[in-house]
Amino acid sequence: MNLTVTNLRKDFATVRAVDGVSFDVTPGQILGLLGPNGAGKTTTIRIILHILEADEGNVTYDGSAFSSRVRNLVGYLPEERGLYRKSKVMDTILYFAALRGMGPSHAHVSGQRWLERFSLGDAGGRRIQELSKGNQQKVQFIASVIHDPPLVILDEPFSGLDPMNQIILKDAMQEMKQQGKAVIFSTHQMEQAERLSDTICLINRGKVVLGGSVRDVKQRYGKNSLHVEFDGNGSFLSSLPGVHRAILFERAAELELASGTSVRTLIAAINERVDVRKVEILEPSLQSIFLQIVGDDALADAPVPQAPGGRTA
Amino acid sequence: MKKVIAVARWEYLEKVRSKAFLIGLFLTPMLMVGMAILPGLFVAQEDHDAKAIGIVDATGAVAEAFARTMGQKYLLANGKPNYVIVPLAVGKGLNLEQEILKANGLVASKQIEGYCLIPPTALKDTVIEYRSSVVGDFRVPLRIQETVKGILTEMRSGIMGVDPALVHRINVPLDVHTVKISKEGEEEDSGFEKVFFSSYIFLMMLFFLIVTSGQLLVRSVIEEKSNRIVEVLVSSCSPTELMAGKVLGLSALGLTQMAFWGVIGLAVSAQFGLNLIDAGQALLLLVYFILGYLFYSAVFIAAGSPLTTEQEAQQVTSYLVMVLILPIVLALPAMKNPDATWLKVLTYIPPLTPTMMALRIPIQMPAAWEILTTVLLMIVSIYLAMVAAGRIFRIAILSTGKTPKIKEILRWVRTS
Repeated sequence: MNLTVTNLRKDFATVRAVDGVSFDVTPGQILGLLGPNGAGKTTTIRIILHILEADEGNVTYDGSAFSSRVRNLVGYLPEERGLYRKSKVMDTILYFAALRGMGPSHAHVSGQRWLERFSLGDAGGRRIQELSKGNQQKVQFIASVIHDPPLVILDEPFSGLDPMNQIILKDAMQEMKQQGKAVIFSTHQMEQAERLSDTICLINRGKVVLGGSVRDVKQRYGKNSLHVEFDGNGSFLSSLPGVHRAILFERAAELELASGTSVRTLIAAINERVDVRKVEILEPSLQSIFLQIVGDDALADAPVPQAPGGRTA
Repeated sequence: MKKVIAVARWEYLEKVRSKAFLIGLFLTPMLMVGMAILPGLFVAQEDHDAKAIGIVDATGAVAEAFARTMGQKYLLANGKPNYVIVPLAVGKGLNLEQEILKANGLVASKQIEGYCLIPPTALKDTVIEYRSSVVGDFRVPLRIQETVKGILTEMRSGIMGVDPALVHRINVPLDVHTVKISKEGEEEDSGFEKVFFSSYIFLMMLFFLIVTSGQLLVRSVIEEKSNRIVEVLVSSCSPTELMAGKVLGLSALGLTQMAFWGVIGLAVSAQFGLNLIDAGQALLLLVYFILGYLFYSAVFIAAGSPLTTEQEAQQVTSYLVMVLILPIVLALPAMKNPDATWLKVLTYIPPLTPTMMALRIPIQMPAAWEILTTVLLMIVSIYLAMVAAGRIFRIAILSTGKTPKIKEILRWVRTS
């Protein structure tokens, strides 16, 4: 499905939750909706799903406005997880299929296939509350895509899943992409978005601060990142001269370089303190870009300290 | 429409299998039969052992005859006297205060069940007392009354010089047998108990029906809100479809319950040879049941969908229960005076109409115009209630967090 979101605006009592958000998704594309908590991702999704009404702007689905027909074409996994605790797994899946206009026999076959894929093949007759949280989440995912919708919207689909199931979910999303579905997923984990999405839309405080294909975005921010792998304690890295910002991992770091920094001097300085195993100059990661944009933004918004010599009694 | 049916089907199947529903289904008729039959059983139960009854006779003239009559007239199943009369103090000029104190001690130590106090003025005032720790058993005082009355009558007739045998012949024992006459003038052999019983049963049925399904409805809406299933539901179908599906599913649930109880009711009445109600009345009751059910579905949706916690739901349900229980409280006065104006006035208040009619129909069939007006009134009320409930539901199901104020809810009803 071609989804076009144009200039959405939504105000709540005291906050502007969404402020001029625009993006589009085409069939066979995965869009990562990024941003910190409270950025307006979920509100945007709710507007697309017609759960909330926008104060301004509009959304079109394959070029036409929302209609009851659209409801059957969308699969939605909400951020807050929940199912009917006392109901049986397969019954629940069939109910959600029926709600989107899918017949029970077809839904049963497809539901069973999904369950097996998530290694829940024998869980169909069990009650939801008997399953672990992670498994409940998988059932909820199945329930939201059981009707094979051309537009899939997943709000924080990876949170709460163990690495194994994250991989299964990623595969499923890739497969949906291959099938020509448009997939939108929100996350605040940049690495995930980076690896999975074709395009991103980075929202902060209701505004789109960065958008476009992942490749374009990274190119735009140039090759000014030094990726280092080392043995030892790297906590000193952020305070080295020439390092604008450091993102630290266990035995690895991504250093955002200030302009004019000599890479050779820097590497030497690092090598003095830890054993460097690998050094690479790369495009910045999305996380680094995100911090560049959002971090600076946050600083700009901070209250300006009063100039010395001002009006102090 | 397909989605409405999908929701209805789900609501019906999930609730019909729920424990709360199954318990209500079986427990309610048991409870009703229990409430209707048990007190009767206890009251009518014959004594197994003789009871000791004392007598303090300040006239000195009653005790002997009292002991004789009570001992001969009332027998246990095994032929032995039901009451053993213990003369505690007999004679003129007794120190009553002292005797009462002593007798009370005997009652307290359970040596006697109770005692009959005949004051010196009994012959003139015709007031005696029965004192016991058990005053709920009205059979003993009734029998004492009968016995002492007979003795006093005999004594007076002696004083007046009338032949006691003649008095006995004049004093005809009389039983009042009630016959109910229907509007068409047909006679029907119907006692008070039967009318009371059937009115009461239908009221209770309607009451339990509405309360159980109302609670189920509110609870499911709260669950859907708290775990945000409602977002998936509302992204799959419109709020109106969702609500219509819920009402439909719930109505099917109600009909199942009614059918089940109906079958039980028929079986029980066939077993005991009771004919609580005729087919016409039953049909009319069914109409009011369905109307009441639909009306209260809307009320429960309107009142329940803005809530966020189980506790609030219980509170709101208990308020609605109070409205529903009112006609049950009124059952007795209504039976004494089925033509009362207040009874008719209450019938025209929509939340009370179905229950008031369930109360009135078995007692006395209301006039055709009354039935017609109330049915029309209910249909209009249901329509308005559903529209209002729909407006509240649409907004309420998506507003989580804080429960809105009543003022805010009223604004939802007015706008849109």
